[in-house]
Amino acid sequence: MSNIAGKHKPEIDRVQLVYAAVLDVVSHTGMVLIAVGFLAYVARLLPLTVSIEDIASHWHLRAGEMNRLHAVPSGWSWVQDPLHGDVLSFISIIFLSMAAMICLVAVIPVFFAEKNRTYALIALLQVLVLAAAVVGIAS
Amino acid sequence: MTRADGKKIWWFLAAVLLTAMPLVLPPEVAAASLPAGGETAWWVWVLLLFIFSFFLGIVSVLAGVGGGVLFVPIVGSFFPFHLDFVRGAGLLVALSGALSAGPSLLRKGLADLKLSLPLSLIGSISSVAGAIVGLRMSADSVQLLLGIAIIAIAVIMMKAGKSGYPEVGESDVIARALGISGSYYEPTIDKTIDWKVRRTPLGLVLFFFIGFIGGMFGMGAGWANVPVLNLLMGAPLKIAVATSGLVLSMNGAAAAWIYLYKGAVLPLIAVPAVGGVMLGSKIGARILSKVNTGSVRIAVIVMMLIAGLRSITKGLGI
Repeated sequence: MSNIAGKHKPEIDRVQLVYAAVLDVVSHTGMVLIAVGFLAYVARLLPLTVSIEDIASHWHLRAGEMNRLHAVPSGWSWVQDPLHGDVLSFISIIFLSMAAMICLVAVIPVFFAEKNRTYALIALLQVLVLAAAVVGIAS
Repeated sequence: MTRADGKKIWWFLAAVLLTAMPLVLPPEVAAASLPAGGETAWWVWVLLLFIFSFFLGIVSVLAGVGGGVLFVPIVGSFFPFHLDFVRGAGLLVALSGALSAGPSLLRKGLADLKLSLPLSLIGSISSVAGAIVGLRMSADSVQLLLGIAIIAIAVIMMKAGKSGYPEVGESDVIARALGISGSYYEPTIDKTIDWKVRRTPLGLVLFFFIGFIGGMFGMGAGWANVPVLNLLMGAPLKIAVATSGLVLSMNGAAAAWIYLYKGAVLPLIAVPAVGGVMLGSKIGARILSKVNTGSVRIAVIVMMLIAGLRSITKGLGI
């Protein structure tokens, strides 16, 4: 059994508290964005790049085939023309997919401030892996 | 039994029945057999997906599994969406669940950043590789392998034990060098638990393979992360469960980008799935103490076996 030490509540690492605080803000913001983006999409509050009916009549196809038929938002393809309902919904998903990276970027300076260079390096490498995925190098 | 308890048990029964419903429908009724587009309005499928995901969220909390491991095989086999889009949505389901639970688990010292970071670094590299391989394979091959994987996971869930506070003699060299250890307050026994880990090198190797499978099939990987952290590395069960979510939030994000770039994430499918599972998880957490989680776990394992078999037959074109 692990050591059952006593009744005092242990102190939580500062770096962990910083990660939690940033994650709290990012995840709540992400959830609001997801709800608002989807509402704008299905209620057609903004024009769509691909109609919902076109998506629904082809969602049985492979992603590659769907892309050949319709320019559905993918990667950063939407950047030049973001004011569409489906794009807003896609952006909310993008934001959620960047949450971990945002939190890690926030804690790297804390690791450095604590002179924990090993973990600063591991966190930096993790950010680089996620950044490679985000910018499409890995794709 | 109080009236409130009775209500909670009705929620539980409804959740299990509605989650299992696609599994008992005959194939000709199941959505996968409908012609493309079909007669059904798009919003019916989106609404059904949301309702299914909501009850899946309840069941997955009660069974102690991530939503992704049930979402992909069931939705992939019984809804009219291509498996590419289902896997993209499945990764986001797993990712968003981990993100929303993260802050409180980190503040309580249950999710441990120092334990998760080396594992997620290895796992995120392999999950990207898994996602690339998965999207290049034919749909039938992925469906077949998914079925085999789901049945294997169900068997692992049946066989794997768990240990609340494993005995760890000496930490290994890597764990000592990285300072992977900690303590947390356990309110059920009103004590502080000190913990450390062992066999970190083997854990890193296994997290590489787990990440690959998670990325390939668009599933969360709590089913594998937790036994490796708990039984192999010796982290207390609560630390293993919470830290698994933290690892998943990084691995899932890396793999999700491969799906995002390939156009395999459709908001019309991903958002109702994420929203449904997250709302359902909150209800599941509220009724958790009133339900026999052992029975739910058995029900979930049975569902996984049926979904796995259905996935195999679909992959074989039967």
